[in-house]
Order: sequence, then C-alpha cells, then structure tokens
Amino acid sequence: MDSNPSVSPSPRPVYLPEGDHQRVKILVAGPLGVGKTTAIKTLSQIPTLHTDEVMTDAAAGTDDLSLIGLRDKKTTTVAIDFGRLTLPGDRVVLYLYGTPGQRRFLPLWEGIAFGALGALVLVDTRRLDESFEVMDLIEERGLPYAVAVNTFPDSPDYDLEIVRSKLDLAPDTPLITCDARELNSSLNALIELTAHSISSAGVGAS
Amino acid sequence: MSRDKHQRRLLPPYLATGTSGAALPSTLDTLTALRASGIPLASYHTSVHRRVVELVTGGSLTAVEIAGYLALPVSVGLVLAEQLVSDGLLNASVPVPDALAPSRAGRPSRQLMEEVLSGLQSLRVA
Ligand SMILES: Nc1nc2c(ncn2[C@@H]2O[C@H](COP(=O)(O)OP(=O)(O)OP(=O)(O)O)[C@@H](O)[C@H]2O)c(=O)[nH]1
Ligand SMILES: [Mg+2]
Repeated sequence: MDSNPSVSPSPRPVYLPEGDHQRVKILVAGPLGVGKTTAIKTLSQIPTLHTDEVMTDAAAGTDDLSLIGLRDKKTTTVAIDFGRLTLPGDRVVLYLYGTPGQRRFLPLWEGIAFGALGALVLVDTRRLDESFEVMDLIEERGLPYAVAVNTFPDSPDYDLEIVRSKLDLAPDTPLITCDARELNSSLNALIELTAHSISSAGVGAS
Repeated sequence: MSRDKHQRRLLPPYLATGTSGAALPSTLDTLTALRASGIPLASYHTSVHRRVVELVTGGSLTAVEIAGYLALPVSVGLVLAEQLVSDGLLNASVPVPDALAPSRAGRPSRQLMEEVLSGLQSLRVA
C-alpha cells in the first residue's frame, strides 16, 4: 500500500509550542503513489505520523448512525499521513493531512476537509485522469486548491497550459511544477495555495 | 452548515472504548490540543486512557497526533480524548479560537491566512 511508510509510534512526542498559537490544516491530496507522503515528509518538522482510519463500507455515503451495526459490514482502512510545520514566531502551526482521494471515503472526507485552509492536489502527467476524482471531491466542498505537477523521470514533458486544459482548471487555479523531495519547491506549492485561498476568500472576508 | 454535522464521525460499535459502554461520535476537532490536567485516572479508565493521559503529561498534542503516536484510528483518538476531557483529566483548546462564527464554517480568517503566507515565505531557504 504505502511505499513510503512513516515512522512507527514514537515514545518521544514533539509537543506543541507552549504559548498561544492557532492550528491550521492543509490537505495534500492525490492518487496512489503521486508523492503525498514525500511532500509531507519534506515539509514536516516532526517525524510524520500515520494513522489507519477504520470505515464501515455499509455506512459509506450515509450519515445515518443507526445503520451501523444493523447491517453486515465490511470495514476498509484509509491511511492518512500527518506532518506538522510551526511557522517562525510560534504563532501558527500548520498541519498537513495526506489524504486519499477516493469518493468511497466520503464520510471521512467531510471531517478532513472541515476548516481546512485549502488543498494541494498532486498530479502525475502520466496519469492525469487519476486526479479527477479528488479534484471533484475538493470542488464539491468549496475548498480552494492548487495543483502541483510532480515530475517523475519518465513523465511526458507537457506544457503547463496543456495540463491546465486537460485538467479543466479554472483560470485562477494555481498550477505549478513541484519536486516533492525538495523543501523550497514544496514550500512554493503551499505558498501558491495560500495566496489563492486568500484571494478566493473575497474582499468581504475578514 | 453546522459544525456538528461536519465533526460527526461514523464509529463501529466494536471500537467502543469503555466508560459508557457505547462509543459516541466525537464533537472534538482533530486539531483540538490536549494536555493532562493532573487529575488522576479513576478505576473505570482503561489502559488506553492511561496511555493517552501519559502521552500529554509533558506537553500538548492535537487529537490527530495522539492517534498517530498511539497507533489508533483518528476517530478512536477523538472519542478517547473527548471522554477524558469530560472526565476532567485533559484540558482542551480549540485550533482557531474564532472559527466557530457561522459565517466562517470553520475556515481560517483572511488575517490568519496572511500570517500563514508570510510565515511560509520566510521559511524558504536561499
Ligand atoms: N522524481 C520524483 N519522484 C517523486 C516525487 N514525489 C515522490 N516521488 C517518488 O514517488 C514514489 C511515491 O511517492 P509517495 O510519497 O510514497 O506517494 P504517495 O502519494 O504517498 O503514495 P500512496 O501513499 O501509496 O498513495 C516515491 O518513491 C517517491 O520517492 C517527485 O516530486 N519527483
Ligand atoms: Mg503515502
């Protein structure tokens, strides 16, 4: 499953800053093997954490708790990676949630997307279509997003404008190339996303 | 859109965690920070409750981090944390103090996002 497993549970937790601070969530989403874990490891200042969320398929797509336990249920686990990035001054701590983009994890998605600043969608030009599902999920939630193209050695060398039209992106959606293994490149992707979230918050937002 | 709706978790009964006999979906945010209050565990607390309290005795961690360190699903970490908060063993602080305003739907304010932007820019290395 995960080609790049995170560290196992650590006995020495890295605690949050002692002073007042705010905690902000950013999603890193995309299809299997596109570089989500790599980007989170690159950006995180703590050893990345990994959780397996258990979901009952019977309940997927419904919000009805009474169904749970009444049906035969098949459980699925959804792997989520977490990284943490404290901004200089210790006033803001960013959390990066590496999330799988499948619609069958919809109940989980509602909770994951709630309150997020936005989502960084990673795409691979060898299989752009595999990113459609997660982009739809994000758009349906009204979450601002930016798209980062991770370039792999045998990726076709597309012009970004061609990628933009293949992905059918809105004109103002940021589209950048990124090497998830490099800090500055990954930071740039988050910067593009944050700038876009700010401008899509509109003038009225405070 | 109400916060509660978005915070509800689907939780199978086999993940019930002890105190009340039935697990209820948590209303805590995954980024709620938690820290031990110093109040000792009671006889009805389980060993997993103890591990949570011990983990956040030296400092604060969010509910997701607690789940990660203890190798628990996030939904279980949330339920455990909520039980321990209501039992007084953990103190909780919300991720963004003013995010509950109905107009915001939990989203960070423009001011907070501006802070994120300049913080990220200053982290870039030349
Ligand atoms: N060249 C290149 N390789 C990358 C990049 N990002 C990730 N990789 C490599 O691609 C492989 C898969 O990356 P992961 O980070 O595990 O991908 P993932 O999205 O977490 O995958 P799953 O968790 O399985 O969905 C790894 O071998 C990475 O080293 C990139 O930007 N450029
Ligand atoms: Mg991964």
